[in-house]
Amino acid sequence: MSFDASTNLLGLAFITGVTTGGLSCLAVQAGLLATSVARQAETDVTAQLAIRHVVAQRKKRSNRRLTKEQRRRELAALATLAQPEKPKRRNAATPIALFLAAKLVAYTVLGIFLGWIGSVLQLSPYSRAALQIGIGIFMLGTAARLFNLHPIFRYFVIEPPRFVTRFIRRYAKNNASTVATPLFLGTLTIFIPCGVTQAMMVLAVGTGSPLLGAAIMFAFTLGTTPVFFGLAYVATRLGEVLHTRFLQLAGAVVLILGLVSIEGGLNLMGSPYSFSNLLNAASVSLAQASGGSPEVAAQPDANGAITIQVYNTGYSPDLIKAPAGKPVSLTVVSNGTTGCTRGFVIPSIGYQRTLPETGQTAINIPASAANGNLRYTCSMGMYSGYFEFT
Amino acid sequence: MAKQVFSVKGMHCSACVMTLEGLEDELAGIRSLKVSFHKQRAEIDYDDKKISEDEIRRAFEDKGYGIARA
Repeated sequence: MSFDASTNLLGLAFITGVTTGGLSCLAVQAGLLATSVARQAETDVTAQLAIRHVVAQRKKRSNRRLTKEQRRRELAALATLAQPEKPKRRNAATPIALFLAAKLVAYTVLGIFLGWIGSVLQLSPYSRAALQIGIGIFMLGTAARLFNLHPIFRYFVIEPPRFVTRFIRRYAKNNASTVATPLFLGTLTIFIPCGVTQAMMVLAVGTGSPLLGAAIMFAFTLGTTPVFFGLAYVATRLGEVLHTRFLQLAGAVVLILGLVSIEGGLNLMGSPYSFSNLLNAASVSLAQASGGSPEVAAQPDANGAITIQVYNTGYSPDLIKAPAGKPVSLTVVSNGTTGCTRGFVIPSIGYQRTLPETGQTAINIPASAANGNLRYTCSMGMYSGYFEFT
Repeated sequence: MAKQVFSVKGMHCSACVMTLEGLEDELAGIRSLKVSFHKQRAEIDYDDKKISEDEIRRAFEDKGYGIARA
């Protein structure tokens, strides 16, 4: 995937975060935080009441006849009792900020891990394509659930095990540290991701890159932050109608992400049925039907040699007409290429390689039968081209 | 003791499950409360001498969800 495509994907992840962050995941996460903050306040009040009670009791006792030494001890005890636990005014923004910061860090680290899993799973272009199509289907299912199309789509949400949710819930209720509790709870939210977060997680796996996986999770979680902070801070609730609108918007964004993922998977598989390949085929037939030149296609020279330039936004040429039955010596040239087009894949001959940023890579394409196509693509299936053997 | 299955309305994702299962700790008399987002149901095991079905229903409604006997 190129730099532009990555940026688009991150932008979409951020928008998904903004649209769903305060809502889809807020209910439980803000609830956890509120429980913890409330518990702190409760602890403060209880402590104050206890102190007052003890002070009153001791004052009563100090009215009795006491020796000088006894009175001195009582006074010293009263002084030490009242001082350290003096009630402090708590700032609600601090625990929320800590919670969100911990959440952002935790999800970014999770993104690194998920991207790494994706890179380990990247055994062949086909397995990667299958993974990407699977991810796309999961996202379409998530979108269908957000649109509330049919109860069956609820199964696209993975429910965290009950013991995990119970542990987190009870931890929030029973611990009252101002710093450690929000930090710990923020980190724990990775174990209770909501549906849309799960969709982002599979997307991070699909990138097959720890860096991009981290970037996606960071962008998404960052997107969730303003809404979450705002809503948690003012503790207001959106009306049901607005909530539904937000969910539908989130559904639309996830739908687009799902389609992008499936499109990439199909391209990576070398399938002629991807949207871009169908569009190509349609434009060729249309041009042929109108009697015009179908497309400017490059051709190998007399020795069967041809060069493909690798840009950040695609390959040039993206259509090569080569004679059937003859091998082709392909040279792929990258020149300051920093995008994911550097991940060059020719699925049907099982070729995949990360090209140098600047340099030439020679690839021998074996002879192919007439009327066959050989597709080449970037490792995410976002950009592609093909040989047509005639 | 009573065990009753309710259908739950208004759950959007698994976060709602956690919110509702929190009632297990908040309401006296509830022995166990299992909520399924997939089935949109809640299985509640409770002591009917300590808490009534109406009180449970009100607690669900306070959280923004509706329940009815399944």
